[in-house]
Amino acid sequence: MDEELGGLTEDDYVLPPVKYEYLDHTADVQLHAWGNTLKESFEQCGMAMFGYMTELDYVQIKEVHTVEANADDLMGLLYHFLDELLFLFSVEPFLICKKLVITEFNTEEFRIVCKCYGEEFQLGKHPQGTEVKAITYSAMQIIDEPKDNKYEVFVIIDI
Amino acid sequence: MVVRQYNEELKYLEKMSPYCWKIKMGFQPNMKVEGVFYVNSTLEKLMLDELKNACRPGMTGGFLPGVKQIANVAALPGIVGKSIGLPDIHSGYGFAIGNMAAFDMADPTSIVSPGGVGFDINCGVRLLRTNLHEKDVQPIKEQLAQSLFDHIPVGVGSKGIIPMNARDLEEALEMGMDWSLREGYVWAEDKEHCEEYGRLLNADPSKVSLRAKKRGLPQLGTLGAGNHYAEIQVVDEIYDKYAAGKMGIERLGQVCVMIHSGSRGFGHQVATDALVQMEKAMKRDQIETNDRQLACARINSVEGQDYLKAMAAAANFAWVNRSSMTFLTRQAFAKQFKMAPDDLDMHVIYDVSHNIAKVEEHIVDGKPRTLLVHRKGSTRAFPPHHPLIPVDYQLTGQPVLIGGTMGTCSYVLTGTHQGMTETFGSTCHGAGRALSRAKSRRNLDYKEVLTKLEGLGISIRVASPKLVMEEAPESYKNVTDVVNTCHAAGISKKTVKLRPIAVIKG
Repeated sequence: MDEELGGLTEDDYVLPPVKYEYLDHTADVQLHAWGNTLKESFEQCGMAMFGYMTELDYVQIKEVHTVEANADDLMGLLYHFLDELLFLFSVEPFLICKKLVITEFNTEEFRIVCKCYGEEFQLGKHPQGTEVKAITYSAMQIIDEPKDNKYEVFVIIDI
Repeated sequence: MVVRQYNEELKYLEKMSPYCWKIKMGFQPNMKVEGVFYVNSTLEKLMLDELKNACRPGMTGGFLPGVKQIANVAALPGIVGKSIGLPDIHSGYGFAIGNMAAFDMADPTSIVSPGGVGFDINCGVRLLRTNLHEKDVQPIKEQLAQSLFDHIPVGVGSKGIIPMNARDLEEALEMGMDWSLREGYVWAEDKEHCEEYGRLLNADPSKVSLRAKKRGLPQLGTLGAGNHYAEIQVVDEIYDKYAAGKMGIERLGQVCVMIHSGSRGFGHQVATDALVQMEKAMKRDQIETNDRQLACARINSVEGQDYLKAMAAAANFAWVNRSSMTFLTRQAFAKQFKMAPDDLDMHVIYDVSHNIAKVEEHIVDGKPRTLLVHRKGSTRAFPPHHPLIPVDYQLTGQPVLIGGTMGTCSYVLTGTHQGMTETFGSTCHGAGRALSRAKSRRNLDYKEVLTKLEGLGISIRVASPKLVMEEAPESYKNVTDVVNTCHAAGISKKTVKLRPIAVIKG
């Protein structure tokens, strides 16, 4: 984990538009995210998950950490990417992210490197949302259709 | 999933009694045994509507209805008896929540499935009694609720306050409640009133990933979020005076405390890790299931054994967790009433696990067999005279704790002989969701829900306002329907009804 506190540039504070929503599911919640590229839809999906844990308006960008995820297929890659983000929140540095930027998005060797911008989760400062227990493969969908410029992902998280 | 018209699907379902339906072979492919589910007329409608919805043309990518999930479980290798749905059943990951199934340990093809246990391993309910009366608590109810809320860390991102380092964690994982006892957090008699005496002996911390341990360490002694809660309740009705007396419940208005929590991030990670391992084992051993989510491994395989050992460690974590919160609850009460917890008679009535797999002896076709019993959203309910229940409850049957939802009643049931033969000594676990979380958020107003609870005389302390909508009683099946179905079907017996007066939530 690289902690480049103070090394953040102006650009790092520019926030991406919201391209995600929460869909119905009896016991759990389904994240639906989209973007102009598949990479963007993955980033948005990660932010959607953090958005369920707190209200992101209260989060400031104070530190940046890097996570890596590897898998055997594309669904596995999305799964492990989200699992890494959940882990980043659950243990030291307890990071709640407002912005995610994937710097390496390899869909041949199924590898992601992602910069995670945010700060340590603090009770009192950050409203408590819902706890995410786990990521699931349940009804997972990745729509990757470059000819229609259609990139969407659907993930059910267990809460 | 086999797609048929709803009318065709109904041909596979048969109403056996006003409270029990059979799912016939062929409802899903490869069923090895029949399925069964317990519902009354209200719950029956919810159950069949779910199926009807799934049969609508163009339904894809959604989730499987509970009935289909029961039938998919009936197709798993080594299943014995029936795949059983309890009245609070709703669609879950792989197994429905409120589904129990037993697998023959002597059959080498039998499987263990993390989906049959759930992500929150050994999620369960503990009930403490006190010798206080509602009128002792009413004047300081708000302070007491606040004090409990201040003592018990709740909600997403909260950290435990019980001092813990990595070595303590290893010991706690191995020892379960024995660790809590050694460290002075619980009383010796607490263990007696806990399933498995609060310790699964086959726990092996070396089978648990570092990732799980890292997630678990900061969260030990925290309540969590979602449907977890700590409630101050009062005895509202006593149905069985003798059994209630054995539990130390003597009169209406008596104050109790219910704690509903599990193994936190630790258990979630153990389940996640196991699912990844089992995908590989399934390919290797060519285990066919109807649903990819029913990831499983043979009980005797390395993956199967490793999971059972790691699951046991997670179960121990959960018992230590509930024990730590028992300690905090006793402290909060002691401070408010300026009396020792002992003098307040704050004993554990019982502690049940409703997400777990256990090795048990059952009589199948007249012969004793050793089975691996999966209970997911289902509570063990052993009958009177069963050797595994504590001496205090030998004549009444095991106490079964059924937590309601925020603001609704909870129940104490006892196990029955009929339950032992029909459902492998299992019954329901709670209310079971009826509305989706997103729908609850849209349709219910946070302030309205709170005002309504206030009107009922319930103090509430909640970390997340959003959760108030998601967890509102309207989002759940009626717990009374669920419990009455279990009682009428004879699989457990109503003993005590409890009404909340204060709720602490994530």
